[in-house]
Amino acid sequence: MTKEDTVKLISAEGFEFVIDKEAAMVSQTIHNMLTSPGSFAETEHGEVTFPEISTTILEKICQYFYWHLQFASGKETEFTIEPELTLELMMAANYLHT
Amino acid sequence: MSAQRKRTFQIEAFKHRVVVDPKYAEKTWKILEHAIHEIYNCNASGLSFEELYRNAYNMVLHKFGEKLYSGLVTTMTYHLKEISKSIESAQGELFLEELNKKWADHNKALQMIRDILMYMDRTFIPSTHKTPVHDLGLNLWSDVVIHSSKSQARLLDTLLELVHRERDGEVINRGLMRNIIKMLMDLGSSVYQDDFEKHFLHDSADFYHLESQQFIESCDCGDYLKKAEGRLNEEMERVSHYLDARSEAKITNVVEKEMIENHMHILVHMENSGLVNMLVHDKYEDLGRMYNLFHRVPAGLAIVREVMTLYVRDTGKQLVTDPERLRDPVDFVQRLLDLKDKFNKIISLAFNNDKTFQNALNSSFEYFINLNARSPEFISLFVDDKLRRGLRVVGEEDVEVVLVKVMMLFRYLQEKDVFEKYYKQHLAKRLLSGKTVSDDAERSLLVKLKTECGYQFTSKLEGMFTDMKTSEDTVQGFYACDAVELGDSPVLAVQVLTTGSWPSQPSATCNLPAEILGVCEKFRGYYLGTHTGRRLSWQTNMGTADLKATFGKGQKHELNVSTYQMCVLMLFNNTDRLTCKEIEQATQIPISDLKRCLQSLACVKGKNVLRKEPMSKDIADGDTFFFNDKFTSKLFKVKIGTVVAQRESEPENLETRQRVEEDRKPQIEAAIVRIMKSRRTLDHNNIVAEVTTQLQSRFLPNPVIIKKRIESLIEREFLERDKLDRKLYRYLA
Repeated sequence: MTKEDTVKLISAEGFEFVIDKEAAMVSQTIHNMLTSPGSFAETEHGEVTFPEISTTILEKICQYFYWHLQFASGKETEFTIEPELTLELMMAANYLHT
Repeated sequence: MSAQRKRTFQIEAFKHRVVVDPKYAEKTWKILEHAIHEIYNCNASGLSFEELYRNAYNMVLHKFGEKLYSGLVTTMTYHLKEISKSIESAQGELFLEELNKKWADHNKALQMIRDILMYMDRTFIPSTHKTPVHDLGLNLWSDVVIHSSKSQARLLDTLLELVHRERDGEVINRGLMRNIIKMLMDLGSSVYQDDFEKHFLHDSADFYHLESQQFIESCDCGDYLKKAEGRLNEEMERVSHYLDARSEAKITNVVEKEMIENHMHILVHMENSGLVNMLVHDKYEDLGRMYNLFHRVPAGLAIVREVMTLYVRDTGKQLVTDPERLRDPVDFVQRLLDLKDKFNKIISLAFNNDKTFQNALNSSFEYFINLNARSPEFISLFVDDKLRRGLRVVGEEDVEVVLVKVMMLFRYLQEKDVFEKYYKQHLAKRLLSGKTVSDDAERSLLVKLKTECGYQFTSKLEGMFTDMKTSEDTVQGFYACDAVELGDSPVLAVQVLTTGSWPSQPSATCNLPAEILGVCEKFRGYYLGTHTGRRLSWQTNMGTADLKATFGKGQKHELNVSTYQMCVLMLFNNTDRLTCKEIEQATQIPISDLKRCLQSLACVKGKNVLRKEPMSKDIADGDTFFFNDKFTSKLFKVKIGTVVAQRESEPENLETRQRVEEDRKPQIEAAIVRIMKSRRTLDHNNIVAEVTTQLQSRFLPNPVIIKKRIESLIEREFLERDKLDRKLYRYLA
C-alpha cells in the first residue's frame, strides 16, 4: 500500500484509520471531497478529520467499506451491526452519504 | 441495563438540540459564507472540506436549509456582479478572453460549492422543488453576466464580427470561439439559440444575400457555382469547429437559400455560361457542381431538368426537321445516336445517373423522333447500311454495340409497324443480293427485336432466313439429281421465297433469254416434282446474273448485273445497236424499270458497258444503244447493280404509307372484337382507350379511324349500338 492510494480518516478522539482510497470512495461524501477541483486541505494532505464521529463508529464504517467492496465483487460475506451502535451508525452514514 | 442505556442516549440527543439556537445557525452560515468568498477569490486551499460539509449538513438537518439556500443565492449573485463588472471593463479584444477566463473560474468554484453543499442538494432541494446548486449557478451566471445590459449586446457583436472576419479570410482564435460557444450551449439550448444562433443565422442571411448579389453581377455561372460551393463547405467546416452540430442544417439552409435558391433562374438561363452552354460544351465538372448544389434546394433540380428537356427537344426537333439532314438517312440516324450518347454521358458523369433525368431524356427523344414521319424508314436504312458494309469498316463487337444503340432508338418509335415494313424490304434486298456481311449480326438484331416486340413481329423475318437456307438445300438437290440433264446450260442459283414472308412485289413481265429459260423450266420441273400443290413464279425484278463479256481489245470481264440488265445485254449478242423502244419490245420489261436499268448500264462512269446516243443522262424512247467495245476497267469483276436499298422517293413513300394504313385496319378491328368479347358492353371512350393501350406497342391508332372501324363492325353485325344510350356498344355473339 503506497502513500498514493491511501487516505487517513481521523475520528473525534484522534484515532487514525489508514485505508485504501478505493474503500473510502464508497462514501459519496469522501469521494466528492477527494475529487473536488478546489484545492482543499484534505486533498493536499490526504487526511480527513471527522470531529463528530466517534472511534467505534468510524471503525465500523471502515469495516463496512471493505465489506461493500467484497460484496460488489461477488463475495457474500457477513456484516454484523451491534444494536447499540445502530443510531449513531445511521447518522454517520447519512452524513457520509453511504 | 437497557433502560439506563436509553436514558443516556436521550440525554445526548437533547444536548444536541439545545445547542442549536438561532445564533448557531447564524454562526454556521457565516463560516460558509466566508468559505464561498474564499472560493471565489481562488483562495480555497486553506479550507477544510469536511468542516464545511459538516456545517452545511448540520444546517439542513436542523431545518435551516432555507437560510442556507437563500444565503447562497445572495452571495453568489454578489460575486457574479463583481465578475460582470470586471468583464465589462475589459477593453476591445480582451473582452472575450476575460469572459472565457471568468467562466472557467466560475465553473470550478461552482463545482466546489456543490460538493460542499451536496447534502442540501440531495435532501432539501428535492423536497422544496428548488433549483439544484449547479443549475442555480448556471442560471445566475446567464442572468447576471451574460444578460447584463452592457455585456449582452457586446458579446453578440463581438462573436458576429469574428465570424465576419473569418469569412473575409482572416484567421481568428477558434479555440476561444469554441469555448465561448460551448459556454452558451451549457447555459441551455434556449440561451444558445436566442442569444446567438438566431442572430447568427439572420446576420449570415444578410451577408450572403449581399455577397450573392455581388457575385451574380461579376461572375459567370461556373465561377459563381464554384464560389457558392466554397462558401457552403466553409460554413460546414465552421460548424464542425466551433458551433453546435445542430446548427449545421440551419446555416446550410441559409446559404442554400440565399446563394442558390434566390438566383436559380438567373443562373440557369445566364447568357453564354448558363446551363445550355454547359450542356453544349460538355462541361462535366460544372454540370456536376450545379447538380449537387441544386439538389439541396427544393425545386432546384426541376428547373435543371426542365431546361435540359427543352434544349434536347429543340435540338432534336431541328435535327429531325432539317431538310439538309433528311437527304442522308444514315447520317441522320448517326446524329441522333450521337446526341443520345452525349446526353447519356452527361447524365452518368455529372448528374449522378439520376433516374428522373434519364426519364426526361427518354420522353424528349420520344417526342421529336416521332415528329418526323420518316424516322422508322431512316432507322431501317441505317441498320441496312451497317449490316452491309459496317463489318468491313468496324469490328464485329462494335457492330453489336451500334445495334444495341439502334434498339434504343427503335423503342422511341411510335409507329413500329412502319419500321417493320421497311425493315422487311431492306432485309429482302440484302438477302437476295447476297450483300449481308454477317449472318450472326442479322440474327442478333432479330433476337433483339423479338425480345422487344414479341414473336409476331419477327416471325416473317425469320421465315425469310429459313427460306434462304431451304433454297440452298433445294439447289444442291437439283444439281445432284441425275434425272435432270443440264449439259452446257448456265449455272442456276435459285432462292425459293414463301409468298407470305417476303415483301410482296408485283411480278412484272420479262422475257428471259432462251438459254436461261431452258434451265429455269428444268428447275421448275424438279421442284414441282418434290413439292406438289405449289406454284412457282419467277421474280425477275429481284435477281442477279454474272456474265462473261469480251470487249474490243480482247479483254475479258465478268459483269455482275441484275436480271433485267442481263436480258438487255444478252440482246446485244445478236446485234450491235438497238433503240430503247426495240429493247422494250424485246424484253417486255416495264418502262420505268427499263429506263433505270439502261441508265446504270450506259450513263455511269466506269461502268458504261453500253454507249448511248445522245450522250445525255436521261433516257428517251428514241435513244440508241451500242455495245461499248472500248469499255475498260481495272478490275476483272465489275459490279453493275441497281439493287441497293435507297430512301424512297415521295410517291413510293406515299404508297408504303397507304399499305401500312391498310394493314392497320384489320389489327384495330381484331383488337375491338377482342375487347368487346370479354367486356360484352362498353362505352365509346373506354373502347378507344383500351384499343390504344393494346396496340401502342406497334403503333398509335387514330381515334377517328377507330370510330370508323367500329361503324364498319356494326354494319357487319359484330357489334350493335344500345337503343337508349348512343354511346354504348354491345357485342353480338
